[in-house]
Formats: sequence, C-alpha cells, structure tokens
Amino acid sequence: MTTWRGLAAQVSGLRVRLLLAFALLGVTTTAVVASGSYVQARTVILQQAQDAAVSSLTGQLPKVYPIAQLPPTQDDLDLLAQRLSDREGFAVVVYRDMRAQGSSEFANPLTSELRQAVRDGRIAWQRVTLDGQPWLLIGTQLTLDRSDGTPRASGLEVYSVRNLVAEQQSIDRLATRAWLTGGLSLVLAVVLALLSARGVLRPVRDLGRAARRLGEGDLTTRLTVRGVDELADVARTFNDTASTLERQVGELRRMESDARRFVADVSHELRTPLAAMTAVTDVLDEEADHLPGDAGRAARLVSQETQNLTQLVNDLIEVSRFDSGTARLALDDVDVAAAVTATLRIRGWLDRVRTDLPPGVVARLDPRRLDVIVANLVGNAFRHGAGPVSVRLSADPDWVTIEVADQGPGLDPEVLSHVFDRFYKADTARTRSEGSGLGLAISWENARLHRHGERRGALVAGNGVDGGAVFTLRLPRDTTDTAGAR
Amino acid sequence: MTGRRTARALLVGVLLLGTLLATGCGVRPSAVITGRSAVSGPSQGVGLYLIGQGELVLVLRPMAPDLSPATALALLAAGPQDNERAQGLTSELPSGLDPVTVTPAADQSGLSVRISGPVRGLSANATDQIICTVADAAAQVGLAASVVPVGIVGSDGAQPARRCAAR
Repeated sequence: MTTWRGLAAQVSGLRVRLLLAFALLGVTTTAVVASGSYVQARTVILQQAQDAAVSSLTGQLPKVYPIAQLPPTQDDLDLLAQRLSDREGFAVVVYRDMRAQGSSEFANPLTSELRQAVRDGRIAWQRVTLDGQPWLLIGTQLTLDRSDGTPRASGLEVYSVRNLVAEQQSIDRLATRAWLTGGLSLVLAVVLALLSARGVLRPVRDLGRAARRLGEGDLTTRLTVRGVDELADVARTFNDTASTLERQVGELRRMESDARRFVADVSHELRTPLAAMTAVTDVLDEEADHLPGDAGRAARLVSQETQNLTQLVNDLIEVSRFDSGTARLALDDVDVAAAVTATLRIRGWLDRVRTDLPPGVVARLDPRRLDVIVANLVGNAFRHGAGPVSVRLSADPDWVTIEVADQGPGLDPEVLSHVFDRFYKADTARTRSEGSGLGLAISWENARLHRHGERRGALVAGNGVDGGAVFTLRLPRDTTDTAGAR
Repeated sequence: MTGRRTARALLVGVLLLGTLLATGCGVRPSAVITGRSAVSGPSQGVGLYLIGQGELVLVLRPMAPDLSPATALALLAAGPQDNERAQGLTSELPSGLDPVTVTPAADQSGLSVRISGPVRGLSANATDQIICTVADAAAQVGLAASVVPVGIVGSDGAQPARRCAAR
C-alpha cells in the first residue's frame, strides 16, 4: 500500500499523468490494431501456404493411379516417394509397417495424431516444429474407387513434408513492421502528450504566477482569458476576485489617507491660534510671579499646557509628513561625535551623560533628524529610566551605531514590542506624561528614513545585560537621498 | 484514488501485453486440421480381403479385374501368396470350401454364397473375408452394389445376410 502511495505521488504530476495516459492509449490502440492485423495476415499467409501445398499434393496424386498391386513392394514405395518429392518438400509413403521417405532429413517427422486422422480417411495437415524450423505435414490415404464410386481403403498413406521458413520470414517481417509501428506511435503519443500537457499546464502556471503576485501585494495583476474552457472560467473568476480586492483595498487606503489628511489639516489649523496663545502665555509667564495664589498657579499651568500642546501639534505635523511620504532628508557630511555632543550640550545634559564618542566618525546623514533621535532617546532615558545614562558611538565602513543605555529597571517584554507605537504609554496609570507620546515613533521613522540601497536605518529597543533599557540606533554610513521613499 | 486508478490502468496494459505474447509470434505448431475426404483413384486387378493383425486388409492381385464373385472367392480360398505372407497377411478360411456358387438371394435383397463345407466352423474374420470379397467382386462386375448384404449357406445350415464391415 505504501509502495502504491509512493508511486502515486510520483505519477500524480499533471504532466506525468497526461504522458502516461497518452502513451497507454497510443500503445494500446496500436497494439490492438497491429496485433489484430498481424494475426489476420499471419492466418492468411499460412492458409495460402497450406492450401497451395494441399492442392499441389492432391494434384500430383492422380498420377500414381491406377494401383495394380497390394501389398506393394518396398521398391514401389521408394519409387512413389521419389516421384512425389520436389524441391519444396519431400514425401513419406507408408504402408502398414513399410515406409519410404524422399529425404533422409528427419527420422520420423509424422505425428501419431496426423496418422490417425489420415487413417480415418480424410486429407489432414498439421504444422509442427522440427529442428527449430516450422514444417507443414500434409497426409492422405490413397483410397480405391469401386465401380459404383464408393471408396475402399488401400492402407497406402502419402505424406508431404514442406518447409515453412519462407512463410516464417514473411511473418517475421510483418512482426518487425508491427513493432516499428508501435514504437512510432508511442513516440507520437509522447509528443502529443507533451504538447497537450503544455497547452493545459501553461494556463495553470500563469494562474499560479498571478496568484503569487497577488499574494505579494500587486493587486493590479490580471490574467489574459483565452478560450471558453474551464481554465478560462478560472481565469475570469481570478480576475473578478482580484479587481474586487483591488477596489476594496483602494477604498481602505483612501479612507486611511483621508483620516491622515484630516489629522494633518487639524494640526496645521491649530498652529496659528497656538502661535498667538504662545505669545500670550509668554506675557502670562512674566506676570505669573506677581499674581497672587491661584491666579499665579493657573497662569503657569496654562503656559505649561500651551507649550505641551504646541509640542504635540508639531509632533503630529511631523508624523503626518512621514505618513504622506513628504518627509525629506537634508543630507550632510557630519562628524557624528561632534553632532551628538552638540545635541547634549544644547540641552544641558553633557555633565549628566557618560559618553563614549570616538572622534573622526564621519557619516552622510540628516543632522537635524540625528539631533531629534538622540535628544528623544536621552530624554526618555532620564525621564523613564535611571542614571547614569550612557551614549556610545561605534562605526564600521557600512554602519554608524549609537547606543543609549540607562541603569533603570529596563523595559517589560510586553512593552518592548509596542514601544515605538504612537501614543503608547508604558505606564497606563500615568495617563498624562510630559511627552506627547509620539517621540519614539518619530525617532523610529527618522531612523528608517536613512537608507542606502538595501541597507536601511533602524532603531531597536532592548535590555542590557545588567538591566536597564538599551536603544540602539543604526544608520547607514553613506545615506543616499531617496526622496522619502517608504 | 489516483493510485488505484493508475494501478488498474497498468493492470489492463499488462493483461493486454500478456494476451499479445500468448498469441505469439511467428509460425506456431498447430493441431491436426482435416480437409475433404482422401484422394481416390482407380485400381487394377482383383481385390481380396485377408487378415492382418486381426483386421481385414485389401490386397490387389494383378489380373483381369472383372472376375466373377465365385472365382474371386476361389482365389481367396486358395490362401495368401508369398509376397502377402511376407507382409504378415493370413487367411482364416478353412481349406475345402470349393466349389462355391454365388447367386442372388431368394428374396432379391442381396447375394447368397453356397459353400461346400459347414458354415458353423467359420470364424468371424473368415465370414467377413467372404462377405467383403464377394461384395467387392459383385460390384466390380456390376452384379450388385458394394454394400450388398451377403448370406452364407453351408452344408449345415445358413448364416444371415450381412454387409461388408471393411471401410
């Protein structure tokens, strides 16, 4: 059973199956036709040979009549056998225990069945194999007519022994031709099978390729519908499915981009009133110290929240630039160590951060975005982790790597997978934090914006060996501006 | 399912091939095929029936063929000649049958042979020899058909008429 299953697996390929079916059909048909005509032709050839031999013998026999003496002498029998032998065969004459043979080729070629049939008074013949060659034996008794026409048995039997090698050769030629025909038809069947397999398999292969392309996201994939057969039906169904899918995905994309544009629009609309509010809160800040009690606290709160709101709106605008693909790199050859140092110095963090910044690492990247990323990472380390915070720079010919680590409790594995999500808050209880909740998301997008060929910048979050969160920024050292390709 | 179907197809193919091979190639030996009845022709001389290995055997003696049945019977009663004896042919007729007469039977249905000796002493083979020789000779001279019934009458009675049993 397992053997059958293994065999079935081997022959279950469509091409192999078609090939087998065609070959079987071709060979079967040819075998039936060829063997049928072969057998028929053989019968005809043998029939003709036998009929000719029988009529030749019976044509010769009237010459031996009238028979004058019974029992005959041995000389009579020898003479008779000589007269009846010719180049096509020889004769055997038998009378009771006496026999005479026209040739000494075989000791006794006659079979007992044949002799019995002859003794019963009929002309009889039989094909036998003597010394590996086919021979035809024909025998008859020489009966004597009475005056009233009824025969009486004389006991004289005459046999003719004829070689059938010539007929055998004709039949062998027929067989050779039949085998040749069979072989040719097998070849033809195989060729036809391959052709038809190709005809059937090509649409199937096309379908498979199209389905793969569709699966890889190319929703514009369509098949050319050929003919009106079942495969054409499948192709048509495939095309319908693909266009439905394309329409629905397009719809979804349109809705998503509508939502994003809405956010971008809202953010832009908020900028103008926020600018005015910022100007007002600057005044409030100056006056807050002079305001008594609650009024002063309220003024400071308004000022703080306005700043937060401005930050949030700016971050939203930045994010919508990434989403719309309009974010552009301003590339420059930058001394990375100097750039990181500048970032820390501007924010007054230089004294609080352990730095390991080997000089002389020059990379082509966007210094503003590098500044945003580093500031965000270091700021987060101060805010959520615990000091001391360290910044390490390393480089190889292809990559620049900046590691920002703190000595805090590290990141929960659950948090780790969402840490770059927008508005993701690690501590759900603390719904209001100092940040907008977009900082890491923006940093992640900024890192990915840097790319060179297949190499693409990345920002990875993890935990150090001795606890504490470690954010690793990897940027290609020779970023090319790919116009914000996402 | 596919495996089983393929197996079935293979089986059919193998069976077909087997049938083909069983039919065989070339000229195969055959059984005995019989045609029309044996070649027949005229004979010369007088036919007598002797006994060889317990069966009736026809011998032809080269002489004028149209002897009367009585003469033929007389020749038979004289016994086999040397060349016939050399073939192992014998006669079971007792000596002293002569003279014999052959006449149409009383009811015209056949021939009646009258012999000199007793009928009861004749063996079955001897009776057959007489009947067949007489019937043949009678047919030869146009006295009666070869299948005529022949009765034998002797000194001690008669045997009922029979036909010649030789082929």
